[in-house]
Amino acid sequence: MKKSFTLLAVFLIASLLLGACAQATEAPTEVPTEAPTEAPTEEPTEAPTEEVVEPAGKLVVWADDTRAPILDTLKEDFLAQTGVELEVVLKSALRDDFQLYAPVGEGPDILFGIPHDQVATMVANGLIASVDLGNKAQDFVQSALDACIYDGVLYCMPYATENLAFFYNTELVEEPPATWDDVVTIGEALKEEEKVDYIMSVTGTTYDLYPLFTAFGGYIFGKDANGNWNDQDLGVDSPGMIAAVEWLVGNVEKGNLPTDWDWANNHALFETGKTPFIMAGPWALDRIRESGIPYAITNFPAGPAGEGYPFSGVQTILINAQSENKLLAETFLIDYVATEEIMTALYEKGQRPSAYLPVLEKLDDPDLLAFGEAGRNATPMPAIPAMGSVWTSWDSAVVLARDGKMTPEEALKDAGEKIRNLIANPLYGMVNVPGSYQSQVGCDGDWLPECAATAMAKGEDGKWHSGPFELKAGDYEVKVALDGSWTVNYGSDGKQDGPNYTFTLESDGTVEFIYDEDTHMLEIVIE
Amino acid sequence: MSNIAQTYKRLRSSQKFQKRFGVAIRLIIAVILIAFSIFPVLWIVSASFDNANSLATQSLIPANAGIKNYQRLFNLDPNFSFGELNYWTWLWNSIKVSGINTVLGVSITTIAAYAFSRLRFKGRVPILKSLLLIQVFPNLLALVAVFTLVSSIGNIVPALGLNTHTGLIMVYLGGSMGMNIWLVKGYMDTIPRDIDESAHVDGANDWQVFTKLILPLMRPILVTIGILSFIGTYGDFLMARVLLNDSSKYTLMVGLQLFTAGQFDKKWGVFAAGALIGALPIMLLYFLLQDQIVGGLTRGAVKG
Amino acid sequence: MAIADSSEGKPVPKKFSLTTVLWKILILAFDALGIWFIVQAISLGYVELAIIVGIIVVGFNIIFTLDKGYPFRWMALGLAFLVMFNIYPIFFTMYISFTNYGDGHLLTKKQALAQIQKVTYLPEDAKTYSWTAYRSPEGNYALWLVDNADGQTYLAKPGEEIVPAQPGDPGIGEADTKGIPVSLEGYTRLTTLQAVANKELSNIMFGIEGEKTVQVRTSNEAAELKLRFVYDEATDTVIDQSNGDIYFNKEGTFTTKDGKTISPGFRAMVGWKNFQEVFNSPALRGPLITMLIWNFIFPTLSVLTTFALGLAISIMYNEEGFPLKKPIRTLLLIPYTIPSVISILIWRGMFNTEFGVINRMLIDIIGVAPRWTSEPFWARTAVIIVNLWLGFPYMMLITSGALQSIPSEIYEAAEVDGASGWQRFWKITLPLLLVSVGPLLIASYIFNFNNFNLIYLLLGGGPPIPGAATQAGYTDILISYIYNLAFAPGGRGVRYGLASAMSMMLFIIVGAITLFQYRFTNMWEEVSENV
Repeated sequence: MKKSFTLLAVFLIASLLLGACAQATEAPTEVPTEAPTEAPTEEPTEAPTEEVVEPAGKLVVWADDTRAPILDTLKEDFLAQTGVELEVVLKSALRDDFQLYAPVGEGPDILFGIPHDQVATMVANGLIASVDLGNKAQDFVQSALDACIYDGVLYCMPYATENLAFFYNTELVEEPPATWDDVVTIGEALKEEEKVDYIMSVTGTTYDLYPLFTAFGGYIFGKDANGNWNDQDLGVDSPGMIAAVEWLVGNVEKGNLPTDWDWANNHALFETGKTPFIMAGPWALDRIRESGIPYAITNFPAGPAGEGYPFSGVQTILINAQSENKLLAETFLIDYVATEEIMTALYEKGQRPSAYLPVLEKLDDPDLLAFGEAGRNATPMPAIPAMGSVWTSWDSAVVLARDGKMTPEEALKDAGEKIRNLIANPLYGMVNVPGSYQSQVGCDGDWLPECAATAMAKGEDGKWHSGPFELKAGDYEVKVALDGSWTVNYGSDGKQDGPNYTFTLESDGTVEFIYDEDTHMLEIVIE
Repeated sequence: MSNIAQTYKRLRSSQKFQKRFGVAIRLIIAVILIAFSIFPVLWIVSASFDNANSLATQSLIPANAGIKNYQRLFNLDPNFSFGELNYWTWLWNSIKVSGINTVLGVSITTIAAYAFSRLRFKGRVPILKSLLLIQVFPNLLALVAVFTLVSSIGNIVPALGLNTHTGLIMVYLGGSMGMNIWLVKGYMDTIPRDIDESAHVDGANDWQVFTKLILPLMRPILVTIGILSFIGTYGDFLMARVLLNDSSKYTLMVGLQLFTAGQFDKKWGVFAAGALIGALPIMLLYFLLQDQIVGGLTRGAVKG
Repeated sequence: MAIADSSEGKPVPKKFSLTTVLWKILILAFDALGIWFIVQAISLGYVELAIIVGIIVVGFNIIFTLDKGYPFRWMALGLAFLVMFNIYPIFFTMYISFTNYGDGHLLTKKQALAQIQKVTYLPEDAKTYSWTAYRSPEGNYALWLVDNADGQTYLAKPGEEIVPAQPGDPGIGEADTKGIPVSLEGYTRLTTLQAVANKELSNIMFGIEGEKTVQVRTSNEAAELKLRFVYDEATDTVIDQSNGDIYFNKEGTFTTKDGKTISPGFRAMVGWKNFQEVFNSPALRGPLITMLIWNFIFPTLSVLTTFALGLAISIMYNEEGFPLKKPIRTLLLIPYTIPSVISILIWRGMFNTEFGVINRMLIDIIGVAPRWTSEPFWARTAVIIVNLWLGFPYMMLITSGALQSIPSEIYEAAEVDGASGWQRFWKITLPLLLVSVGPLLIASYIFNFNNFNLIYLLLGGGPPIPGAATQAGYTDILISYIYNLAFAPGGRGVRYGLASAMSMMLFIIVGAITLFQYRFTNMWEEVSENV
């Protein structure tokens, strides 16, 4: 029996040793990654091309299946010129994997192909580094660059823009419809003649229908005076949105629209001539062309609120905040990717208008030009963290209305409420006076805008009151904060983000606060 | 008329007819059941040979039959590039990882089961019970924890870290004792103890009893849990996806997922082709070992 | 004698032999490796990992040196893997459930501080330059700087004062077309690419530290940067050098008194907050009841249907000499041989309301077709049908084996007593069968209780429940709901902390069910009694 365990133990130790050996064998391969950075110093600067045998390191890029093959073509040049190996890794879920791998230091140096609206969260998570494009910045479409800027800092390099456009089947329809009423008229006529099954393909519920929603006056978030998204002004349950969904539901009930809005299936409908219209993106151009259906691309039909406009998106490239090769990565983007050759390849493979001006200016594909025209009023996809909460609820609401489970109004109002809840503010509407007195009156500490013990209540005089609080003698500072956070706060003289109010108690006493929401002034009553 | 009725009655009463009638009915039911079980498979086959590549237009016999999807899968279609696509590497990785995991896992389980079945010690029942309870933990939700763990180990011993097959296998081995140990122990309990007692009297030690006497009798259950664990590992997607990072390290399920991302529709046919070929090794294994599996599964649970 | 004792777990007489020595050596080797690993882990800051490996090493020593540990030697390896990759993650999940790990707090404090402490700022009077790098054979660097504002040129070396310089000065080569010297004495000029290929370049301080230094900031620019944040460990605060603001650590975000924050935040303990949120937030609680009920119905129905069909098949085609017995059984096994991730995706396409083959066929045959994806009842039916397809071959396998093991004498006796076919089935077959396959049925129940793949891949949990305060569907079960809430990009972003809190609760629920069911089937007692 001793023998039995000898065997077991041998196996056990062997497996551990194997691990250790494997590490030992790995070690030497790692050493050179450090060394050669110093070693080639003697080499003349002119032509290190031939001499470089051992790569001095690795620059890792994650990309999707469309872009990876393009980047593969750069490998040889890059190694020859920098002595650094370019490794392109094919990924199916770029962002999810990056979120997981980057924090443990296993992320790539460069992340290739992220829509700009996902960049905000990544910046907040500290996962991506800023980029300096230097003079190359002039070569990019300004609006695309703007989509990469957060707090005044550029965080990504754009390479393509994208938006939906309106397609019609030129064999079935001669004149493109000018209004959504025309869509119904033309479609119903064709349906009557049994030339089509439905008046239009519907490829989704939110993003894909946005040009319809906007034509009826719907919107997603309002903008504040500075043109920034205002996540407190949600348009999911706006009258325009409700009207648009009512239009949709009405047509589904009449049998004008399919009941299934699966993207691929509805594309198949259009491509087999079973519907005359579809709203599609440049990414679908390939398959529509391949299908051989005669088509033309045009602007969106108008509705009660004018011509509809789509969302626009920007495809971007990011640098990992924890990359040890930030400078090299940046140079790679500027010198290798932001070139006519690669940008043209990206444009041709990706079928999206380039964000790189020298390529965009040469754009002669009539289809892509038509996309540009349809998207001339496009609104950039809001890149605010709140969008995460919006998509699913919005989608559910449209589906529930379509399936007749709720009326459009009920469904959207409900979704609106859900989203407002999720925009994370259970404290929405709270008015508070955080300050250095709070720990004396039952808060966990000072300066807590979310502390319920000091929350104000609206009185009959229309003003907000809190207190009286019994405080010890001393100097105090306070501020007014709304919604339980510091996002909106008012300092002395009612100035937003202004300096603190100060007051002094000569001896122990009570203090009351009164706040006027019109002037944003705080009155401090000391007894 | 009456003649026929009489004949019918006579026939019906005859046991032979009853039996034949029963067999006929059962055969009809069999046809329906077989249709139910193979229809989706036929559907994959048809999709894999359909050049048109669209769910909406697909029919059981493709109008547009061809082998384009297979060409694409093996990178033989010059107009269609996925970048680094290593189907055969993925398949080999899957077989390798599942194979190693199965052999190690079954060994660990069987050896441990001997202690639970033949030795009596303090803590035996509690351990058995806890083994089951631990398996109940929703593993999916511990993914982050496992990921962090493997990543830390990898920073100490790179060969066991993220993006290595050894790391993945170790994680799989962590779950190998679970339900399987119950099956193996149950089966072992059915082997009469008189056998090993007499061997002990003859001077054999536990290890000899285990290897010489018990192990040979365990073949059916070993085959069964072997194949179950092979299939489980082969079909695992979540753990492998999280721990493997490099296209050349992917297992088949992770690799195939590349076809379902992005424009899934465009690659539907390629996915079907890849899935079909990927399912073949398991099918083969199954049909070869079918009888053993049945024997193993039940006797383990029956406990004599 | 000694041997018989061993099976009772009693001490084994010690013998000094080669094996014992070898054995001891192996243990020592194992200890050495273990200790090496622990030291490494601690030096890298993985305290938890060090503890868990320590437990395993100590455990091995106890098991392999004390005689009492004998039975555990058989399972040592399995237990080690179990502790490491199964139990430890459970504890880790428990730990995460008390933190705010997730979007905004993804990094560890160490990582976040490392980033924060690297942040630089440009003081108001500081200059920016464009740069060209030179390198000496010893690997030292020099920079040729051109002031972006006034075009003045400078030469900068680490540890030396930055001096104005002109091409053609002593030791400095002639200017090229852009006015940059082609060479420096003792140095060779690098292209930008060659320069940036060195990871260290951006960390080198050119000039004299404490006086004036220039750092390469980007591939285009070098600047007189200063570090912006200084961390004070004693007070756990960060001080902004540019304006003197003090940032306090507030639950994983450095925050000033008036609410300014530094990004990124980091993981921090938040106490019971995640658990409180589950109970208090109407958004989370909302659809829980609907979902819980379905979460119990779904596995119950799944087990019942698969078991019934599997058993029916075994009984129908079990008979000796039944025609085509073997091919029938083989064909019926097919669903079990296809990895479920694949087959679920296939079914998903087939169940498509508008285009799926099922509805196309139903319309051709009977003229109506259910809306599988939008009607709760039909959606749930679809889930059950697919799970039936996935699961019946397994049940067929286990029941046909179990049937064979029922002694035929029992049936013969029953026949003598005049029991009918049905009576025999209900009174004999089923009870005996349940005894033998009961534990497997429970395992199947538990598996389906958490059958994430099926629910998530088939219909994504849909159709949505109207009026639910969060994203939840009629086919959602707890695990898919938690996944959506915590991981899915469509939710509120990644919230590992909250997800872990909910996982712990789910674990308790499922654990309780399991215990209850096993008690019910007397399995525990069998374990204890069975020899």
